[in-house]
Amino acid sequence: MAEAMRQTVATMLKGIERYNPDNLPTLQRYVETQSRENAYDLEANLAVLKLYQFDPQTYNVEITSQILLKALTNFPHTDFVLCKCLLNEKRLMESPVDHIMYLADVLERCDFETFWNRVHSMPELCSRIVGFHDSIRKFVCHVVGITFQTVEKSVLAQLLGGVDGKPFIALRVVLAKLRALVPHATVRHWVNKYGWREESNNLVFIANQDENIKTKNITEKIDFESSAAIMAALR
Amino acid sequence: MYDDNLEHSNEYGYGAPPDDVHGTEGDTDYDRSYYKMPEVVKKFLTYFRNCINEGLVFEIQNLYETTFPKLTDQYFEKRSWPDEADVAHLVDNDTVFLTLYKELYYRHIYARISGGPTLEQRFNSFFNYCDLFNYILSANQPVPLELPDQWLWELIDEFVYQFQSFAQYRARLLKKTPEEMDTLNANNKVWYVLCVLNVLHSLVDKSNIKRQLEVYASGGDPESVAGDFGRHSLYKMLGYFSLVGLLRLHSLLGDYYQAIKLANALVVLSSTAEDGEIEVLENIELHKKTQYSHVPACQISTSYYVGFAYMMMRRYSDAIRTFSSILLYIQRTKQLFQSRTYQNDQINKQTDQMYHLLAICLVLHPQCIDESIQQVLREKNYHEKMYKMQYGDLAEFESCFLFACPKFLSPAPPAANAKPDDYVKEAIQHQTQVFMDEVRQQKMLPTIRSYLKLYTTLPLSKLATFMSQAQRQENSWDLDKEMKALSIHLLCFKHKMKNVVWSKGSSGLDGKFQSGSELDFYIDLDMIHIADTKVAHRYGDFFIRKIIKFEELNRKLHQIKI
Repeated sequence: MAEAMRQTVATMLKGIERYNPDNLPTLQRYVETQSRENAYDLEANLAVLKLYQFDPQTYNVEITSQILLKALTNFPHTDFVLCKCLLNEKRLMESPVDHIMYLADVLERCDFETFWNRVHSMPELCSRIVGFHDSIRKFVCHVVGITFQTVEKSVLAQLLGGVDGKPFIALRVVLAKLRALVPHATVRHWVNKYGWREESNNLVFIANQDENIKTKNITEKIDFESSAAIMAALR
Repeated sequence: MYDDNLEHSNEYGYGAPPDDVHGTEGDTDYDRSYYKMPEVVKKFLTYFRNCINEGLVFEIQNLYETTFPKLTDQYFEKRSWPDEADVAHLVDNDTVFLTLYKELYYRHIYARISGGPTLEQRFNSFFNYCDLFNYILSANQPVPLELPDQWLWELIDEFVYQFQSFAQYRARLLKKTPEEMDTLNANNKVWYVLCVLNVLHSLVDKSNIKRQLEVYASGGDPESVAGDFGRHSLYKMLGYFSLVGLLRLHSLLGDYYQAIKLANALVVLSSTAEDGEIEVLENIELHKKTQYSHVPACQISTSYYVGFAYMMMRRYSDAIRTFSSILLYIQRTKQLFQSRTYQNDQINKQTDQMYHLLAICLVLHPQCIDESIQQVLREKNYHEKMYKMQYGDLAEFESCFLFACPKFLSPAPPAANAKPDDYVKEAIQHQTQVFMDEVRQQKMLPTIRSYLKLYTTLPLSKLATFMSQAQRQENSWDLDKEMKALSIHLLCFKHKMKNVVWSKGSSGLDGKFQSGSELDFYIDLDMIHIADTKVAHRYGDFFIRKIIKFEELNRKLHQIKI
């Protein structure tokens, strides 16, 4: 469904057609399809926000929230910033947009523990976005992958957050304490997915970082062309 | 509704706007009766019109760039140029010339008349632009008109500027009379954002400029895809400048994605001469003269908005590359911009803004840049600002941003029932907020960087101790807690310093994730391993220049015959 719509929508985004308010209903439906089917199309979503910007009366907070949550799923890309720039101060303070702003902020700061705690405390907010948790975990893995050579498994488990699909229960506090113990299967899944390696002593080997991250010495190079000019002059 | 804006304005025709806009006809008649136009101005106008009719581009350029400003200083320093009615009989009611003349007439009012344009003048200037663009766009074959590129660029630039000026005027509800509000509400199509977008898009489409630039970039002949209109210099250049106009307009509305996307062709053009990171710095002829880039103000404006959009998208490497290559170009062609003209004032302002933006980017993302640009940033003014920003002075970040950012707009006017207030600052405040959120997220990074720079390996616990030195006197200090906080900051450091960087051949929006900053590190269990970039001094370039200079001198000495 999302794939089929992608084609139709692409023609709606060409040139001046992008600003045609008649396209808004289709584009909004497309946003909902993306949430349901775990698809993503930044350009179409920005066009929706643009139409809201041109005609504030059509603004729909529900659709906007979905667009913003979808932008979170595309970290580390800066899609969220792009969306934010098309809104305005008043909109950012309305609920639930303000909650999403908070989520984005802690995610940008890489404070994953706080992020997961907040997500688990209001499961109804993110549950509409299919594949939300795993998309965030992809971002976590991206950051882990560029930062660590070896990391403790418990640290990794904490960064990856709790297990998916846990029903929201009142015993949240107990659950939070358990959570550090729970996700070993989840951790293993992500370790395998990224080709990392579980080692003894509860360590996970990520990658040989010293191959990529090493001290660079930039020395001066003088190319043939520039010295040729001198040689010609000295002849 | 969004499609027929151009046609819509047709019903006002030439010089017959609706009654409520032209309420002061009598007054201007009275003024006119005792204003006598100097002979030299009369002669100028007749000659100007003849040159345009005969298509003498060089002469037109001379009249436009030299004579018109000179006469302005001499006779119209504080008053507007003669009204259309006084000019019409001198030029046989030549409608095309009169439209062009009125473009200059209103532009002069916007720039020089104290108090700025009246509401009526704003409206009429808009109608005049509609007339001009209708004439150009609705013709079945290219219109027989040729104008110098400088004029065409300033025409498009002014069109966007007047839209910007109107949007700001519209958002200021405090000093409006009820009559003004009524007129504004009754004419909400005038200077409407969609109409402006429509004009620019139409000019882009008519000229096939996007396709032309693609072919040009891949080494082909743009003429082969230009079409009847696009081959014509007027359409081609208007199309090109409209792309830059759109870039500016999107930036003013905070739509950085579209800005970069639409400026794609332009980016590819100005970066074809650049190659990798370090080589860029050594390439002297960064901005080779192409058939599209001989209007310096346009080149500079393009780089300013592209660089700014990159900065907002956290693509610091790309922003730094864009700014430093244009600043280098400006530095090397400086003598061109030294005389104080209306064009150069704008260029000098934008140059200063770009140095500020470059300073911000380099504080957030330290990276080695060209020595001569670095030299400028070492001067007192910038040096002090950079120093403050490095030490986390948020107010300094904000004031640099406010000085250097475009004057953002809200596209929609305040709601009809909005309480009278000044809404003009809202958009700027919002974009500043977005930027400052980013800065706050990165606030700890410069401190961490300054410690990491001193070591090649550093245990986490030791760095945590350094970081919390200030609070250690208190009893509440807890190493575990500090280490946890530090780990988060380190992850954030890696995340923020790994950004999309444009790579050759791809579109301006695409790129690869790279760590372009000069300091990098990784964590192995409890140990941080640090990699720094060491730059050797560069003497070669300096000596090459000196040798060539010396040889030149030597040769001249030999030629002297005593």
